[in-house]
Amino acid sequence: MSLAQDFSRGIMKENPVFKQALGMCPFLAVTTSVENALGMGAAATFVLVFSNFLVSLFRKVIPAKVRIPSYIVIIATFVTLVDLLMNAYLPALHSSLGIFIPLIVVNCIILGRAEGFANKNKVLPSIVDGIGMGLGFTLAMVIMATFRELLGNGSWLGFNLLGEAYQNQPLLIAILAPGAFILMAFILGFFNIMEKRKRGGAK
Amino acid sequence: MGEIFKVGFMLMLVAVIAAVALGYVNSITSPIIAEQKEQAKLDAMIDVAGSLAMGELSFDSLSIPELENPYAEVDETLAVVSVTDSTGNELGYLFIAYGKGYSSTIQTMVAVNSTGTVTGTTVLYQQETPGLGANVSNPDKFLYQFDGRIASQFLLKKDGGGDEGLDSITGSTITSRAVTNSVRGGLDALLEAGIITLEGGAQ
Amino acid sequence: MINSMLMWVIVAAPDGGEPSFSIAKMMAIIVSAIFINNYVLSRFLGICPFLGVSKQLDSAVGMGAAVVFVMVLATLGSWLVYHNLLAPHGMEYLRTITFIIIIASLVQLVEMILQKFSPALYDALGIFLPLITTNCAILGVAVLNIDDKFSLGYSLINSVAAGIGFTLALVLMAGLRERMETANVPEALKGLPLAFLIAGAMSIAFLGFAGLGG
Repeated sequence: MSLAQDFSRGIMKENPVFKQALGMCPFLAVTTSVENALGMGAAATFVLVFSNFLVSLFRKVIPAKVRIPSYIVIIATFVTLVDLLMNAYLPALHSSLGIFIPLIVVNCIILGRAEGFANKNKVLPSIVDGIGMGLGFTLAMVIMATFRELLGNGSWLGFNLLGEAYQNQPLLIAILAPGAFILMAFILGFFNIMEKRKRGGAK
Repeated sequence: MGEIFKVGFMLMLVAVIAAVALGYVNSITSPIIAEQKEQAKLDAMIDVAGSLAMGELSFDSLSIPELENPYAEVDETLAVVSVTDSTGNELGYLFIAYGKGYSSTIQTMVAVNSTGTVTGTTVLYQQETPGLGANVSNPDKFLYQFDGRIASQFLLKKDGGGDEGLDSITGSTITSRAVTNSVRGGLDALLEAGIITLEGGAQ
Repeated sequence: MINSMLMWVIVAAPDGGEPSFSIAKMMAIIVSAIFINNYVLSRFLGICPFLGVSKQLDSAVGMGAAVVFVMVLATLGSWLVYHNLLAPHGMEYLRTITFIIIIASLVQLVEMILQKFSPALYDALGIFLPLITTNCAILGVAVLNIDDKFSLGYSLINSVAAGIGFTLALVLMAGLRERMETANVPEALKGLPLAFLIAGAMSIAFLGFAGLGG
């Protein structure tokens, strides 16, 4: 399989969120603003790339029996690294992502890629796979956050787009917890329809 | 048995390497984090104290043994800093109010003059619901009502404050109440200890 | 412009002894964890099992029980390690890594003990246990207990309540989804989208508990 395929797979065909329904907790929780979505996306991508790299590098050294615990330790190390660095250099973002930074550890996407890809593949494809999956995750969050911030606050990435009048009476539910679930239902429904169209056309 | 030992050793090795690496990073980031927190607090102090008087100000921590702690319930303590001008005239005091909101303990820095009138406030920390309680950080939504009030005037309209009471943030009574009551608690403690005295002596 | 010689020292009342245990605070924690800040529907923790194991009522109850069990043990272990080992030595930064190791080993241990001593319980809960390591509600409770500066007693109460809240959401969801099996839903919404819609409706209902905070 070519590197280009390794890269693009995570973004569209096997998008971790829309196609595999992984990483749902941070996806629903931090998409209240585009800024948070980008921050979480960058943090998760960082962890994904480095954990894939190390897991692939040591795939022949780590005994199969303690494979999973070792991966968890590796992932937790990079998560803590992100936590410390973000706290030092991006304190505002760190405080708005809050508990979801340490929770990157249990993001199924990362352990899933370590176990499902990096431990069977060479270093370079594993890194590329990490970047692709990370971007796919980020993209999905930005799409969701765009809907939620625009509808719920009338802005995008902090820029006021819909005007003062809208901001005083926004569709608040989009930014609240129920809005996340309901919007996700519609987005997944949309993908279902697209899928069906594609299959229908192929027949 | 040898097998288990080897596997266990491997796992321990991974954990030790991770711990050492993180310890190193922590030694770099922790002073930055501490300094940056201190700086943020200092910025807020300068900003809020600016409402007491223009020009050169100096801060000094105040030690009052008989000061009651209104924030014991959230495991915080009331700390007071006195603000003086360049000639040593006492202008007023700063303190941080801690109030348990909807999903976080909200920290509000308050500037009060020596006759017990609040002159400036800013929210230092909150993790309230985006779109609802988080609006407490936006001065135009809530805190604008605080300036010029004395302790007994810190009551929400809903809590029996009458027409003179404070308007709560739409849909966020708990957040509004937490901030209001925590500020009143701090002011009451300062009055009790005789640090501030209301004009005319009447409470 | 401003010369600042500041020392931001804690000056209020000297430590008034141990913070006393109050029933009011305990009730507030319970109501908050189960209803107001429900871990699934409001905090978005534990969404994966919430969607994955909520197709049938029986398995939802089993999963809920397993989560409560592990949550309490994980809270006990993580709280003790954090306050006795990490915090006194200034190693708070190892929190995430330590907690996840504690949780993973606990799950393993519980699985082995159940298998050996209570095969019946193992048959009921066994298949859910491996899923629990990556259930972010467990790590979430452990971390939040530290962040909220809860004492051990409050932490344990919080973890039981969080587990009950998780189970409540899971069981309600399973009940609704079982009914929806026979309903006539638009093709595009079948499966996961419908599950999200139901979760959204439940989340709206739980939003109504916000007033309970008093």
